[in-house]
Amino acid sequence: MGTSKDIPKQITTDAKIVVKDINRIFHLKKSKTEPARDFIALQDINLEVKKGEFLVLVGPSGCGKSTLLDILAGLAHPTSGVVYIDGKRVTGPALDRGIVLQGYALFPWRTVRQNVEFGLEIKKVPKGERKGISDHFIKLVGLDGFADRFPHELSGGMKQRVAIARALAYDPEVLLMDEPFAAVDAQTRESLQDELLRIWEETRKTIIFVTHSIEEAAFLGDRVAVLTANPGTLREIVKIDLPRPRHNSDIRSSAQFGWIRHKIWELLQNSPHEPKVHPQSLPVADAISPTAAL
Amino acid sequence: MVTVNAQAGRLVLRSSGVILFLLLWELAPRLEWLDPYFVPPLSVVIGEAGTLLREGSLPIHLLVSVWRAIVGLLVAMAIGLPLGFLLASRFQQLAEAIDPMLRVLSQVNPFTLLPVFMLFFGIGETAKVAVVAWVSVWPILFYGMTAAREVDPVQIKSAASMGIGSTDMLLKVILPGALPTTFVGIRIAASLTFYILVAAEMLGAGAGLGWLVHNAAMNYLIPRIYAGAACIVVLGFVLNRFLLWLERVLFVWREEISILPGEAAVAVSPWRPGRYAARALVGGVLAVLLFGGIEVQRINREAAEPGGGHSHHFGTPVDSGGSSF
Repeated sequence: MGTSKDIPKQITTDAKIVVKDINRIFHLKKSKTEPARDFIALQDINLEVKKGEFLVLVGPSGCGKSTLLDILAGLAHPTSGVVYIDGKRVTGPALDRGIVLQGYALFPWRTVRQNVEFGLEIKKVPKGERKGISDHFIKLVGLDGFADRFPHELSGGMKQRVAIARALAYDPEVLLMDEPFAAVDAQTRESLQDELLRIWEETRKTIIFVTHSIEEAAFLGDRVAVLTANPGTLREIVKIDLPRPRHNSDIRSSAQFGWIRHKIWELLQNSPHEPKVHPQSLPVADAISPTAAL
Repeated sequence: MVTVNAQAGRLVLRSSGVILFLLLWELAPRLEWLDPYFVPPLSVVIGEAGTLLREGSLPIHLLVSVWRAIVGLLVAMAIGLPLGFLLASRFQQLAEAIDPMLRVLSQVNPFTLLPVFMLFFGIGETAKVAVVAWVSVWPILFYGMTAAREVDPVQIKSAASMGIGSTDMLLKVILPGALPTTFVGIRIAASLTFYILVAAEMLGAGAGLGWLVHNAAMNYLIPRIYAGAACIVVLGFVLNRFLLWLERVLFVWREEISILPGEAAVAVSPWRPGRYAARALVGGVLAVLLFGGIEVQRINREAAEPGGGHSHHFGTPVDSGGSSF
């Protein structure tokens, strides 16, 4: 653990989020007798995110992208290194960051409205004000008319909309999303991506979005940070200069989009730490993940 | 029409066993297949129950038994629920340390404890309530602990990401998430409660359904034994059905998973428990507690007075002791 003495509690920066020299090492033991083996989940991660930026973290399974997101959320602590949000050091979870997880993580005993109002209750927002706020966000994610339904009455895509509304409702400045659309079918995913871009443009939140789908990364991000596994390192940050707004457009089939997708794919292939494999001998899907080869 | 017919057919099929049994009960003694003195026909037993009802003693026995069961169950819930949730969510190490001890204690036969409880609490209601609570606290505690441990980690993670306090985490995430499984424990506890209560009332009480059966047996009032036993069966059945219904109503938010093929299409009932239903339920429980409490107090006071009959005698305060033969 980094000693808090030599790490400043506050820094002056223009960036919304500063990730500095993050390392995360797990001590793994296969059996009781075997000595612990170190597994480096994250190694020397440095990253800056501007206010209102949409940054996507993409990488294969086990590259530590979810661990990094947990550290940003304050749910996990780095072995060394520090995260600053608005120049202030992150020490734990707080309502300045909203999180949307892969599992819908909705509270099944609460209706859509009660789920959206959960963070407001934690924030001690008076009951009278909550309804107006939840109405607004339920409408924003396109679920008006479903406020009094329970999660089990909704489809997977609708549940994830509720999760987004819940994370937005307590007005965090940063939205952290951990493979939020991985569990829905391809068509629903595309429409959710469109929705997310629309919501992002309306709310101007800073978003950090984790995915293992190259196409999703290229479509959503201002920049895409490519991570490689074993140890989890930040390989390169790709700037996506596709025109915006991208939602409700045919941008996915443009040549430029294909080129960007290929570039990210190449970065993921030529991982310097892995033995070189001839591209033809290894299907893309196996190299990254089953759902990545879209 | 087809569905109505199918439903009626299913109802007939499901009740045919009970109807056959009741028919046999009526016919076997009448046709002298069984000695009608030891096994009186159903109609005689129903007549006896009617007599008890007219005399006004049956409702009192019922009320007293239900009062004891509810008080015992409430005590068990008051101990078991917070203890289980706290152990499982906050004091995991302590829970692991004392788990074997709890498992051993839960195996202690409540009847061996009855004399001990009588030493501590006297021969009054407290000992009986303590036995009932002892029996029903275990399923509530164990189911509560398991349920609290098995709350979806993703739900806990997403609540934790909002910087939720530990009290809010317990009350707003773990408690509601654990409630459905815990309720199964409560339902098991409720049926155990009833078994044990009837037995405890046979051992030492001045009223209650168990006492009614025991007293009838002591006085060779055979139809009355059957009438009392039938009342216990009906009460147990009604209680079980009520709790199943309550479970469905309370946890309407759960995904309905049908295990019977062909029933998957049956929609969740659109009715949701309103405030009215909740108030009616709480009011009913309070009414039983109040009137049952008054009745129990009266019985114990009268039993304690000099000249008040020993429970095995005729002419105890709440029972005329008359035979319907």
